[in-house]
Amino acid sequence: MIATVLKLIARRLLAAIPIMLIVSALLFCVLRLLPVDPAAMSLPPNATIEEVEAKRREMGLDRPLPEQYLIWLKDALHGDFGSSIHFRREAGGLVSATLPATIELAVFAMVLAAILGIGGGLLLFRLRNTVFEAAADLGSILLLSIPEFLWGLILLFVFGVMLRWLPFTGQVAPGLPAPHITGFLLLDSLLIGRFDVFLSAWRHLILPATALGLAFSPPVMRVLRSSLFDIYQEDYVQQARLRGLSENRILLGHALKNGVLPTLTLAGVQFGILFSGTLLVEVIYSYPGMGNLMVDAVRNADLPLIQTIGLTYCIVVLVINTVVDSLYVVLNPKLRVS
Amino acid sequence: MAGPLVRALRSPRVLIALALVLGIGLCAVLAPLIAPHDPQEQNLLSILLPSAWAQGGDPAFPLGTDSLGRCVLSRLIYGARTAMTVAIFAALGAMIIGAILAHISGYFGGAVDWIIGRAVDVWMSFPPVILSLILMVGLGIGLRNVILAIVLVDWTRFCRVLRSEVLIVRRQNYVAAARLLGFTHWQTIMREVLPATTPLLITLVSLEMAIAVVVEAILSFIGLGVRPDQAAWGQMIADARQYVYQSPWNLLLPMIAIFVTVSAFNLMGDGLRRTLDVRLAEGGR
Repeated sequence: MIATVLKLIARRLLAAIPIMLIVSALLFCVLRLLPVDPAAMSLPPNATIEEVEAKRREMGLDRPLPEQYLIWLKDALHGDFGSSIHFRREAGGLVSATLPATIELAVFAMVLAAILGIGGGLLLFRLRNTVFEAAADLGSILLLSIPEFLWGLILLFVFGVMLRWLPFTGQVAPGLPAPHITGFLLLDSLLIGRFDVFLSAWRHLILPATALGLAFSPPVMRVLRSSLFDIYQEDYVQQARLRGLSENRILLGHALKNGVLPTLTLAGVQFGILFSGTLLVEVIYSYPGMGNLMVDAVRNADLPLIQTIGLTYCIVVLVINTVVDSLYVVLNPKLRVS
Repeated sequence: MAGPLVRALRSPRVLIALALVLGIGLCAVLAPLIAPHDPQEQNLLSILLPSAWAQGGDPAFPLGTDSLGRCVLSRLIYGARTAMTVAIFAALGAMIIGAILAHISGYFGGAVDWIIGRAVDVWMSFPPVILSLILMVGLGIGLRNVILAIVLVDWTRFCRVLRSEVLIVRRQNYVAAARLLGFTHWQTIMREVLPATTPLLITLVSLEMAIAVVVEAILSFIGLGVRPDQAAWGQMIADARQYVYQSPWNLLLPMIAIFVTVSAFNLMGDGLRRTLDVRLAEGGR
């Protein structure tokens, strides 16, 4: 079972390579067409025109665009993504230092989104044909209108500022050490045996992860509800009822298993968007992940860094979509034969 | 079209949403008349004032002032102007590009369809937030560029959804009949296909307006939206985030403004979808 899944994922990722190449080429071209000169930017302001020209040649900016792209691609495949103009460090290194924090945030947000989405969908469905149906329906539309950006601010306002229950700035309380072994702070704090750091990191993760989870669960809720509606037209539900099973038993024991499948295709897209949604939540909570790095890069027009981060986001989103799609194929008995 | 539109106007959802949108629209249009102050006017002697009725409030600033002593109420009202301008022009722009490509793609099929379809695929593999940030780096800040960036990111939403609708409409007998009567492709699309896809188009525009309001707020929040001398809800949030302990309400007010506007557009879109879509309207759910 696991071997089939892995084989499928590998095959689909290979099939996605052409798209990745096109995406990287597009990204490269768009950023080169910008009215920003990376050579002039990486020199001090009093540099002469000759120095800028020399720097342009050194950076390969005087060559034709396709050639520049191929050079960049060759370097990138060797793990060299150029260096950040603003931070004067390897762009690849900057990304790999901040990516784990973002992944940590995204993973907890996805788990929360799945729990809230399935729970909410079941609740919405259970409320059908009751007096609460219209209210629940309207409520789910209103929930649908709150993007992660607003959820982030609402939670910060209510639980951070008003109630003062949870911290809302950074990844760990100031004064505590932030170890950097694997980059995943929760794991690293346990590795150095500092439980207080672990706890603090947890508390800092709750609000941003919940904001993302709340923003991305309503579509899952609505799709689960409507697929449950379809399933309840099937004969086996009637039959289960005739066998005397309770409504809850039918819903949780029989219908849910089939109802979750359509939600999974949606979840692939949703989790992809969720990952890029971490950017805004990171900015709101000053969380030191890749999103804040991207905003820094964008504010400083730091082209090599923008390019590296942009590409990383695209790749991660593509990988998430591919993995979830493969899971769908494996879990859906109708598609398993092929 | 007349029948469904009348039906739409009888739906409470659409009416409530329409009232909200009109209210915000009026604020936007009449901003110079109803705002008590110039939104950029700084009163450095009275910064971070609470609202007029709270202790220490000044009746001259009904909802208090921000960190530069600017009137929060006036900035909210002028912010509505920015948000509505972006919502209308960005949604229409994305609709026009997306709809034209969708109709060409769905109607003619074949190689054109394949090329447009792949373009949409590649475009959509960029996460929208990332793409709009990159575009704003290139275009530079400003109201017009925010609109342009949203159009360039979001035309794919229209293109993908409308294309599948055009595919269905194209197979209808009346479209074939129009061709047999000697209509040109252009006439067939304009007179037979477009009227059938219009309900979906209107719904999508309404939903896109909600998205545009959020994206404008996000870009202004990050500092890559409209120019700093133009009031925007996102900027107000960014300013209030820094002084959240001194003046938490300054954070809440623009959030409420965004929430109400976005919900109004979404509610309108949802109501229109239920009433304009014949299949949904007759099928109940």
